[in-house]
Amino acid sequence: MKNLKHRHTDPNKYMNPYVAGVLLGFVIIAAFFFSGEGLGGSGAFKDIVKTTVVTVAPDYAADTHYFKSATELAHSPLKTWLVFEVLGILLGGIISGAFAGRLKLKVEHAPNITSKKRIVYAVLGGALFGIGSQLGRGCTSGAGLSGMAVMSVSGFVAVAAIFGSGYLFAWFFRKLWI
Amino acid sequence: MTEEIITSGRNIPFIDPVLHIWHWQIPLYLFVGGLAAALVFFSAYFYIRGRGDELKTSVQIAPILAPVVIVLGLIALLLDLRHPAYFWQLYTTIRFDSPMSWGAWTLGIIMPLSVIWPLTYMKEIKEYYKDSHKLALWLIDLVDTVISMAFIKPIIDWFIKNRYALAWVNIILAVILGVYTGILLSAFNARPLWNTSILGPLFLVSGLSTGAATIMWMSRSVKERLIFSRIDLLLIAVEVFFIIHLFMGFLASGSVQIEAAELFLGGEFTAIFWIGVVLIGLLIPAMLETMELFGYHIPISIPALLILIGGILFRFIMVDAGQLTRYLY
Repeated sequence: MKNLKHRHTDPNKYMNPYVAGVLLGFVIIAAFFFSGEGLGGSGAFKDIVKTTVVTVAPDYAADTHYFKSATELAHSPLKTWLVFEVLGILLGGIISGAFAGRLKLKVEHAPNITSKKRIVYAVLGGALFGIGSQLGRGCTSGAGLSGMAVMSVSGFVAVAAIFGSGYLFAWFFRKLWI
Repeated sequence: MTEEIITSGRNIPFIDPVLHIWHWQIPLYLFVGGLAAALVFFSAYFYIRGRGDELKTSVQIAPILAPVVIVLGLIALLLDLRHPAYFWQLYTTIRFDSPMSWGAWTLGIIMPLSVIWPLTYMKEIKEYYKDSHKLALWLIDLVDTVISMAFIKPIIDWFIKNRYALAWVNIILAVILGVYTGILLSAFNARPLWNTSILGPLFLVSGLSTGAATIMWMSRSVKERLIFSRIDLLLIAVEVFFIIHLFMGFLASGSVQIEAAELFLGGEFTAIFWIGVVLIGLLIPAMLETMELFGYHIPISIPALLILIGGILFRFIMVDAGQLTRYLY
């Protein structure tokens, strides 16, 4: 280890988005091939919420339409493809970040706002997206990507709605980024 | 109304058909016991090898944590006892055939020694933490004032002079403590998952690995981090081998052992064990540590944290799953 040199990779170098998009398409094909299911993000968090509610307040869960199905399972509600998929995304992200020299504990934000503000808005936005994904029966990956992959109309509508409203609302919150 | 009286030895609450007496206290204790054993082991080992100045964190700084985590473990053990007030009765006898007796005595001796070891390095600890938080400085000053008292100082000085002997005593006790955390389970011959002689070495190696992870997380020197990263890699390799060996042994054994192994090979602990312990707690950190050795920049806290999570998860799973396994049908 004497002649050990730390590699200097340019930390801002990301993959070409068009190439990454095609690769993501292959990921969906692989997901359908290996698991028989598409990709999803919000579903895993929904399962975590369900498991928490079933564990903490089993009586409430049994009385509630939304949580009832989770109480009737023979196994833990966490035992689904999406939970493991999201775990894999996390681990894959750590590994690819490490290879790109970008594995650091930091908060990324625009120069004009503080880290605290960024975290508050990210949590708020994340919560809104979680609620929205439940109303729309799926998030960008679950309803959008996987839906479009099977040529479902709802998939195209979901993507148009998510990105369309994204463009609209970006104007109001632009100060958070520029 | 007809009354029916059934006399059976098969329905013993909390014991049969499945054991249901150990909750979070025991696995938590097994984790902190292994961690403390590792911290004491590495400090004593590198001191004996004469590398105290080079590997400052492991020899002088990290051992501060040892008594803290041992106390946590002892509290957990006390909470597990039905009659905590009678714990002292363990010290009225020595029984070489009882793992509890071994553990009680080892803990009883290593506890004060693990306090004394960092006290002999008070000057270095003060120097090391001179820029830290006010509260930490106040605490260090307090301890320093206490050990500078006229009747305590000669005792500490005596230990500083005899540090080498203290290191030897510590290293032996640390190995006993580390192995004991596994033996405590493997001495239970009524539970097939625990009753295997590989469990002692497996828990020792796993404990050493969590200790190495803690030291590399605390260390401020790149060289020391790399050394502990390599030690940890080696320990992970040994641990993976032991885990494979454990299941090979079960599968080559009788039907109760095969049934015990099947809890992890398709049964209810499959996902949490292979993904939580083996993948997240061993293989991913091993990969990140290997990348670091090849010069990639890895924040050391990530592999260290993953190893600690894997270590604690491993003990909870072993204690939970072991209570489900049994001989009788």
